[in-house]
Amino acid sequence: MPSSPDPLFAGLGQAVRIGTNLLATLMVGGGLGWSIDSYVLPTEPWGLVGGLILGVIAGIRNAYRTAQRWDHS
Amino acid sequence: MEDPLHPFELHTIVPLSLFGLDVSINKAVIMMFVVVGLVTLLLTKARSSGSLIPTKLQSVAELLVEFIRGMIHETMGPEGMRFFPLIATLFLFILFCNLLGLMPGAYTVTSQLVVTGAFALGVYTLSLLVGFKVHGVKFLGILVPSGTPAWLLPLMIPIEIISQLARPVSLSVRLFANMTAGHVILGVLFGLTISGGLLIGWLPFSFTVALYGLEVGIAFIQAYIFTILTCVYMGDAFHLH
Repeated sequence: MPSSPDPLFAGLGQAVRIGTNLLATLMVGGGLGWSIDSYVLPTEPWGLVGGLILGVIAGIRNAYRTAQRWDHS
Repeated sequence: MEDPLHPFELHTIVPLSLFGLDVSINKAVIMMFVVVGLVTLLLTKARSSGSLIPTKLQSVAELLVEFIRGMIHETMGPEGMRFFPLIATLFLFILFCNLLGLMPGAYTVTSQLVVTGAFALGVYTLSLLVGFKVHGVKFLGILVPSGTPAWLLPLMIPIEIISQLARPVSLSVRLFANMTAGHVILGVLFGLTISGGLLIGWLPFSFTVALYGLEVGIAFIQAYIFTILTCVYMGDAFHLH
């Protein structure tokens, strides 16, 4: 972000995002995997496992991408 | 000691029913009315003077408009100014809900997942609609990060779908959890103050004073984060990659 009014404010704003993003991707990934297991395919428990793993990957990728944006500030 | 989650319970004050839907008035609804009324009143008053030499209220309002405008320009570019009313409304509403909720006896509307979830889902759906309107079917390319080799696609597309779906979840949970956690901690510390008595009660009480200051800061930061992320998602819809 180029010129935010207050660097501390903007910096805090960006830092606080990462934690919840990790949690949210994990929840969504696990939830999707679980619902595939229970309603779509008889793949218990591998849908949940795969979904959680994908969720972790997505969360870390998002954190990485968020952190990458900092350098341009 | 009182249950620290007790302040989050909602009780119907005026029972109302509209087409079989429960639209009863409770404390949260009243707080929302108060917030809307207060914001409207303050901004109308700030605008009414409209002098070249701004009054105090007017300069605060001008700072606010500049702040939100800066946020939109950074993330969406000038074409994002179409969404200025939406973004400004969101920011002011969430900010005043957070701040007024800190008053003793008031209710923090944003500590309800229903409220934050509705905001997040609405904003996210809008960003999807904008994306499909601007780019058509090509908007699905948001699921394919640029420069992905073809053999990685079966892995990348589920990951991107998950991170897209996580956006409204993280947006709503962040605001809700921050508000709830802050108020629970304040409640617990106040409870300790009362049960501690004069001898030791000053210790948790001084913590509540410090934490209250922190909570005021968090009220600003969370409102800011919610709106800036709204802008970022809208911006992603405008500019693919």
